[in-house]
Amino acid sequence: MSRVTALVIRLLIAGAFVSVAWLNGALVGDVVAAGVTTKFVIKDMHGRELSLPEAPRRIVSLVPSVTELIYALGGEDRLVGRTDFCDYPPAVREKRSVGGMLAPSLETIVALKADLVVATRDGNTEETFAQLGRLRIPTFVAGADRVADVYDLIGRVGRLAGREAAVAPLVARLEQRIAAVRTAVAPYRVPRVLYVLWPDPLIVPGHGVLVSELIAIAGGDSVTAHDADAYPRYSVEAAVARSPEVIVLASHGANIGNVARDKWDRLTSLPAIRAGRVYALDGNLMHRYGPRMVDGLERLARAIHPEAFR
Amino acid sequence: MSVVSRAGTVSADVTPATTASPVRRLLVVLGVLAVLLLAVAAAALFLGSAGIAPGAVLRVLGGRAEADSVERVVTLSLRLPRIAAAALAGGALAVAGAAFQGLTRNPLAEPAVLGVSAGAAFGVVTAQIFGLGVTLVDALGLTACAFAGALVAAGAVYLIASVGHGLSVPTLLLAGVIVGVFFSSAITVVISIVDINRLGGVIHWLLGNLAPIPPAPLLLFAALTALGFWLVVGQARELNLLALGEEAARQLGVDAERLKRRIFVGAALLTATVVAFAGPIGFVGLVVPHVLRGFLGQDNRLLVPTSLIGGAIFLLVADTVARNVVAPAELSVGVITSFCGAPFFIYILRTRTRPAP
Amino acid sequence: MNLIELSGVEFAYPAAPRRARPFRLAPLSFGVAAGEIVGVIGPNSAGKTTLIRLLTGIVRPARGEIRLDGCPLDAVDTWDLARTVAVVPQETPPAFPFTVEQLVLMGRYPHAPDRYFESADDRALAQEAMAATGVRDLAAAPLGSLSGGERQRAVLARALAQRPRLLVLDEPTAHLDLRYQVECATLLRSLNRELGMTILLVSHDLNLAAELSDRLLLMAEGRLVRIGVPEDVLDEATLEAVYGCRVTVAKNQTGDRVHVEIAWPERR
Repeated sequence: MSRVTALVIRLLIAGAFVSVAWLNGALVGDVVAAGVTTKFVIKDMHGRELSLPEAPRRIVSLVPSVTELIYALGGEDRLVGRTDFCDYPPAVREKRSVGGMLAPSLETIVALKADLVVATRDGNTEETFAQLGRLRIPTFVAGADRVADVYDLIGRVGRLAGREAAVAPLVARLEQRIAAVRTAVAPYRVPRVLYVLWPDPLIVPGHGVLVSELIAIAGGDSVTAHDADAYPRYSVEAAVARSPEVIVLASHGANIGNVARDKWDRLTSLPAIRAGRVYALDGNLMHRYGPRMVDGLERLARAIHPEAFR
Repeated sequence: MSVVSRAGTVSADVTPATTASPVRRLLVVLGVLAVLLLAVAAAALFLGSAGIAPGAVLRVLGGRAEADSVERVVTLSLRLPRIAAAALAGGALAVAGAAFQGLTRNPLAEPAVLGVSAGAAFGVVTAQIFGLGVTLVDALGLTACAFAGALVAAGAVYLIASVGHGLSVPTLLLAGVIVGVFFSSAITVVISIVDINRLGGVIHWLLGNLAPIPPAPLLLFAALTALGFWLVVGQARELNLLALGEEAARQLGVDAERLKRRIFVGAALLTATVVAFAGPIGFVGLVVPHVLRGFLGQDNRLLVPTSLIGGAIFLLVADTVARNVVAPAELSVGVITSFCGAPFFIYILRTRTRPAP
Repeated sequence: MNLIELSGVEFAYPAAPRRARPFRLAPLSFGVAAGEIVGVIGPNSAGKTTLIRLLTGIVRPARGEIRLDGCPLDAVDTWDLARTVAVVPQETPPAFPFTVEQLVLMGRYPHAPDRYFESADDRALAQEAMAATGVRDLAAAPLGSLSGGERQRAVLARALAQRPRLLVLDEPTAHLDLRYQVECATLLRSLNRELGMTILLVSHDLNLAAELSDRLLLMAEGRLVRIGVPEDVLDEATLEAVYGCRVTVAKNQTGDRVHVEIAWPERR
């Protein structure tokens, strides 16, 4: 067989692939049409403006915190999809799952005819954002680093779910409980608190995250809140050097409380260990910026100031 | 010639000498594989977590579904591009594997072994962490970073292995391993300082990230794959001769330096392209050429074209499984290729390798 | 005109880190006539392999000239050279288990390098070459399953498939038994007589070289020590000086065969 024939074969094979791509392009050129009318406008938590033809009726939530908020506001009839990690309230299991947070099934999202997806940059991947953008499905980016943000978010989710009326009462309830905690712990000395997000490597809350603010409200002085932003990795030495009087271990689903305890119990120089003040708390209560944030806050306050709640 | 010595008895399994036309053999095998690929692709179009009825899919393919309908969007915007991406990635990886194996004269060589995957992965991970991840990512931006990383790694390997006037193959292997280790460690460093909330996404990408690629990048992907394939297949015959040793190949008239350069560039290009568009996916470049070798023999002229289609089939099957086995959740395709590929590979090794006489 | 002509060829490898002196080839001049069998003998590091590399264009001489059929070697096209000179190397490491037929077909590459697959003519020529060295029955056998002798014959068939005018063999009988040595010698002689193939044979085996060669080239430490008919070159004093051990050289009655024997030291 001459070189020419070989070249032809090679070109055919290569061509087959190129034509697949071209065909693909030709077919999907304008499958998803862009919306024209914009009767519903809202800004997400990153300040991006979303314009929808009308209020969303089929919301898919990729953020467990927001799923909880939707239920707390009574807007679950507009929720059509959630992730496997959305586990509260129990009724959420009736809603169709679209998979995990890292790689949700785009097919399922499309099949659910979602007109809005709620996502977060801390937990969902860039690929998901890109694909949702390609499919022209409006995406609301959620997030909250402070308690004030949480109230803001509740307001916006209330608008999305068409439950504006339920926003004020919910916010009032939360504010009330938070105020109660503040009052209860006010008379007492503020102890040094080490909050362990993850024991190994040691990951702690730093400056400007919700957990740090909650610790402050609960009457504690987080030893790691002043150093770095977000969630830095700390060396155990540095943590020990701060001499925390209370240690809070966050559990995440799987029970790691005991294992972590052993490690900390050995550090007998710490006032927290000597006084036996090591507590395990449910991470889902502390880290989600949903309505149960105040449950987490209350438990945290009880751990830091047991004397205030006798 | 009048001198003929009688051969002694041979213990190997000898079938009659093949004088059949190799062209026909190649075309037949390619035809069979192409049919198989189309069948697998068609099946993959019908499978997915959206639960679309086969009839609906057929309507879409026939052009009779309405625009914006669920089945049309899912089939044409999600499944078809992903199938194309998986086929391209699988084919590219398999050809790169065959090329590296021929170049290094080692059947265990894999695209990942030459450090190019790790370099590309480092490029992408770094880009994801520092900046490019903040705004809505342009697919091309991440791709460019992957290429930059791959180029740096490939360049480093090439320079380290270039001794005197040419490319030293043993040094190439070592250099590849070392460069790969370096970039893997670099990735680990980046991971250890990344914001914990992004960690999941980064690690997820590192396991392979086949996604429905939009048409323009897909075309670029296909074009680069075609180029890499052309570079390798054009020297397939010479690659056979290289197995005799460089000096022997040169004595047969092969320009060994040009051959090594071209094959290295082609294979590195294919690897970099796949990592840029689909993340680091292992194992395909090792398994597919090896399995095909068991059926077709050592000839790279058969192996390279069939690896293109064989690799496409392999990764397409793996990706379809990854998409559907725990629906609606999705597994990374790299998990399937390694996890399921390994036992399969062991089986092949045991049944097709006879102990040395 | 000689098929191969070397004039004043000098060559040196770049200095290796631990060698006291870099290996140099002193100015070499000799010619090989078409149809001759020339044996190249000498101790290790005499430059025999370097000579092969020079003849096949793998390395270039630092000085002097090599001519192939009157044409300077560096003016000869690589493929033309491969069609004219075929090398049977010392060992063929089978990195991949090619079959004998695939190996022999590789010898056809220089004749049509632009083809993707070999032509039917190529395949027929390969069959002939395999028949000539008696490996035709093993055509589909992978190289790894063959014995040393069979593998060497397969490699020889590959060289024959190249249809060269000059066949260069580097230690063809190095690892092989007596019967194969005889077969090999017989085969080479018949190739020379019937096809007029010029043969350059590098060997440690002085007796094989003496038996086969029309002329012998004795090299030592990069120099050409003696060149001539075996009876002249294989002389006790010369050999002892070159190899550094005692030998006895016996001639047969008709004086056309010489036999070199090592004079073993006394057993204690």
